Amino acid sequence: MIGSSAEAWRLPPIASLLIAVLLIACAEVGGASMVQFKLELTRWARSVILARPAMHGLVGVRDVDEQVIDEALVKFDAGFRLFHLHAEGMGLVIIATTMTAATLARSATTRRALIALLTAGGAGYPFGYLLWSALIPYYGIQTGKTLAEWFVWIPFGGASIVGTWWLTALVGVRLVRGA
Amino acid sequence: MRRPPVIVLFVAVLVIALGESAGAVMSQLRPQVTRYAQSRVAANPQAHGLAGSAEYDTEVTGRAVFLAEAGLSFLHTHAQGLGPLVIFAGTIAASVVPWRPARGVLYALFTVGALFPLGYLAYSVAVLEQGREAGIEAAQRYVLTPLGSAAIIGLVALALLMVAARRGRSA
Repeated sequence: MIGSSAEAWRLPPIASLLIAVLLIACAEVGGASMVQFKLELTRWARSVILARPAMHGLVGVRDVDEQVIDEALVKFDAGFRLFHLHAEGMGLVIIATTMTAATLARSATTRRALIALLTAGGAGYPFGYLLWSALIPYYGIQTGKTLAEWFVWIPFGGASIVGTWWLTALVGVRLVRGA
Repeated sequence: MRRPPVIVLFVAVLVIALGESAGAVMSQLRPQVTRYAQSRVAANPQAHGLAGSAEYDTEVTGRAVFLAEAGLSFLHTHAQGLGPLVIFAGTIAASVVPWRPARGVLYALFTVGALFPLGYLAYSVAVLEQGREAGIEAAQRYVLTPLGSAAIIGLVALALLMVAARRGRSA
């Protein structure tokens, strides 16, 4: 006998699992696209940057402008890479943490709130990196970052952090009571 | 599927929470982290070999601050990866390994191994307090290697026990 039924996992809602799996799939597609379409994406970003010289502080001097464009393109590429990494990681984090919440949270309200925070926060957060990448050619590195922070990273990342610490406290209480 | 004991889940979820928070600190409090790291380097001039030459000291400080920030970054990435890994590996151990004492040893190894990412926090602190070389050496020897070894031994033992359980069932 390996264990009692009290030690069995309870599944989180299928919607949470589906979102986590889709997120991992998006990450993999993102990683593949980054490699496959690197040239096209770079060309597109470069053309958008060149069409908005004032936004990027381009001065018409090739040596200066190329440095600015290069930096923007490095960050543009970094946004894709960070999306790829975070989406793969957060997909697994969503599965692990919502399973734990579904199994150890006794109150239905707490369980639902925790699973909602962990799923929405974890799934939304990585898309901030995609948004940042998409905004860089139009608005520059810093403005793009600020927009991604306020619209995605802070709300979704905040939800994920609150959910994870809440879950930690809940599991800690179960541990102390069990002991 | 069976779940691992609550202590394993607690440590894994705690490490995930610390990893997420480290990411937020790196992003939102970067200037404060950098200033703190610079002040710690300045407070330990001998450990860092500061010479009193502004140009040289700035370069040395910059390298130490970079390593301290890299430690935070490694804490973030490793915690996000190792937390779920310990939950999933613990689930496999709980569901597949039929021997209670063996499961207990695996849970202990996974619980200790789950703390591996915190070794990078120790790495950051050690680099700032003891200097670059001595700090890295101390963090690797006393924190990262023991904790990482626990995780590796746990995973290898799990694989061996899975094979043994399978052979036991088919015999």
